[in-house]
Amino acid sequence: MPPITTRPLFCRYLAQCRMMAVSMENFIKHTKVQVAKISPDLTESVAKEELQQSCDNFFRENIYLAGKSITEKAVERVVDGDTILIYKKSQLILHILLEAKARNKNFRVMVVDSRPDLSGVQSCERLTAAGIPCSYVYINSCTYVMKKVTKVMLAADALLANGYVLGPVGTALIGLISSTYNKPVIVCCETYKFSERVQTDSILYNELADPDSMLKTLNEEDTPVSNWRDCPNTRLVNLVYDTTPPALVSIVITEIAELPCTSAPVVLRRGAVKM
Amino acid sequence: QWYQRRVTGERRSYVSVVKTINVFRDLICTAEWVTGRELIKIVKCYCKYLPLSQSNETDVSNVVRRILKIIREESVGPEATNSADGISAFFKTDIKPCNLGRSDLQDNILNSIVELLAELDTSKSNIVNMALEHIHSNERILTYGHSNTIRDFLLYGRKARDFEVIVCESGPSLKGHKMAAELSEGGIKTTVIADSAAFAIIHAVNKVIIGTHTIMADGALRATNGVHQVAMAAKFFSVPVIVCAPLYKLSPTHLCSYDPDAFNKVIGPEKMLNFSNANLHSKVLISNPDFDYVPSDLIELFITNTGGHAPSYLYRIISELYHPEDYDLDNMCVEDVEDEMAT
Repeated sequence: MPPITTRPLFCRYLAQCRMMAVSMENFIKHTKVQVAKISPDLTESVAKEELQQSCDNFFRENIYLAGKSITEKAVERVVDGDTILIYKKSQLILHILLEAKARNKNFRVMVVDSRPDLSGVQSCERLTAAGIPCSYVYINSCTYVMKKVTKVMLAADALLANGYVLGPVGTALIGLISSTYNKPVIVCCETYKFSERVQTDSILYNELADPDSMLKTLNEEDTPVSNWRDCPNTRLVNLVYDTTPPALVSIVITEIAELPCTSAPVVLRRGAVKM
Repeated sequence: QWYQRRVTGERRSYVSVVKTINVFRDLICTAEWVTGRELIKIVKCYCKYLPLSQSNETDVSNVVRRILKIIREESVGPEATNSADGISAFFKTDIKPCNLGRSDLQDNILNSIVELLAELDTSKSNIVNMALEHIHSNERILTYGHSNTIRDFLLYGRKARDFEVIVCESGPSLKGHKMAAELSEGGIKTTVIADSAAFAIIHAVNKVIIGTHTIMADGALRATNGVHQVAMAAKFFSVPVIVCAPLYKLSPTHLCSYDPDAFNKVIGPEKMLNFSNANLHSKVLISNPDFDYVPSDLIELFITNTGGHAPSYLYRIISELYHPEDYDLDNMCVEDVEDEMAT
């Protein structure tokens, strides 16, 4: 995307609210195309209504219905007796598991969580509320529990054009451990998250979250680096994303098909043709 | 003669090892024995009183094995040890009676134990002094959690070289924060990252230097929880993993099972999930293992007080440090069993 000062005003506003994510960029591109398509002889109010309608359609088709379609495909992969490993909290993965439970499948879930945000606790709460037996570990213990796991289901924040999966930081580690122990890694990703960007490592393009959140401990006490801002030699780095190489992922489930990671550019080309 | 098992703080493993040696020194002086074999039997019986029942406390059991080896060597006598070499020495399991009386034998054993104590005392400084051979300028080194040995190793390297260290927080205990604070006080530019970011940054790192709790007989590690995946990520990107540990951590035991009783230790989950989330604690199985098994093929080099060794060489060091009959401290040698059956 062009640098921030030359972007239109609404993009700059959005970028100030939250750093540009791949899904945001794709939606903005879609909206710009819709704006260009609007015929010039429509009145302003009608044009606005059309645009709002197209935004709603985008949400309904690409997010809501896509989610349902992915759930249908993914639920078939859950069999009785499975132990499924999930990482942190993802609406889509939780939806898949709750749907599988609603279809009376008998399975356990291993929730892997990591600092600093510890969102896996919310996953545990939702899964236990639905009656699914859960186990909970930190990502350090992933190798300890991996033997008992039968499948790994991960969510993606984006799928890059060279097949790399951009996910919450720690996804790559889980992909590595799973493929070492020969467990299938299933990534669920809607097509609006596919990006033309290519990346081979996680550092080149990443987000940095608030470093002070790394200082938060469960019993609210200080850690030895709590005064890190006063120490010139200490730095805290809180990465948000990491990229998983395609060799570590078995399959990507999207609403149009179940693909290998490397088919990402095919989907992108199909999407470009549609537009 | 009991000592406080909960030894904590600086050089925890070294302090517990020294205390063990002192306990056995007293035992050798005060117990009733005439031959070396009787003393070995007494030492092995006394082992039951020490906290060796937990398979994790390997520092203590390793040093007991060293003491037993000293007793065996002194009992056989100086001529026998000098002439014994090569394969015949390796298979020598019996102890020939020696002409030395108890007082002479006791003096020899105690002298050797003093030498052992001196060796242990200098073990850390020997490792630390090798820092300059393994760290070069403008490097980025990744380390995991907290280790006194690694901290001193890196601080020694800082005296002559300028480099950066990235420290992984290390899970629920957050020992990595303490390490980062100590390193940055020593003038090293330190970055703290979450454990989950290990894969993300490891390709940009030159080497991984870690400490360990125990070194197993095949070169595998029993290390802090989370080290295995960092080592796997390092292997994926071909980043060398270097382990710094003194030889009293080298244990002639192999991995037989990953279960908590045999290898691991599971500690309380209060650091992972607050007890205020009591409803979750009751419904969810929360695991907080303390150790991690790291297979030897992920490790590039061991830096010990006797120098650098490849994991494939450790079997040789074990045969020099310990006697095969002492690998399992519970068993008695064949002659003792025959004695027992005769009486």
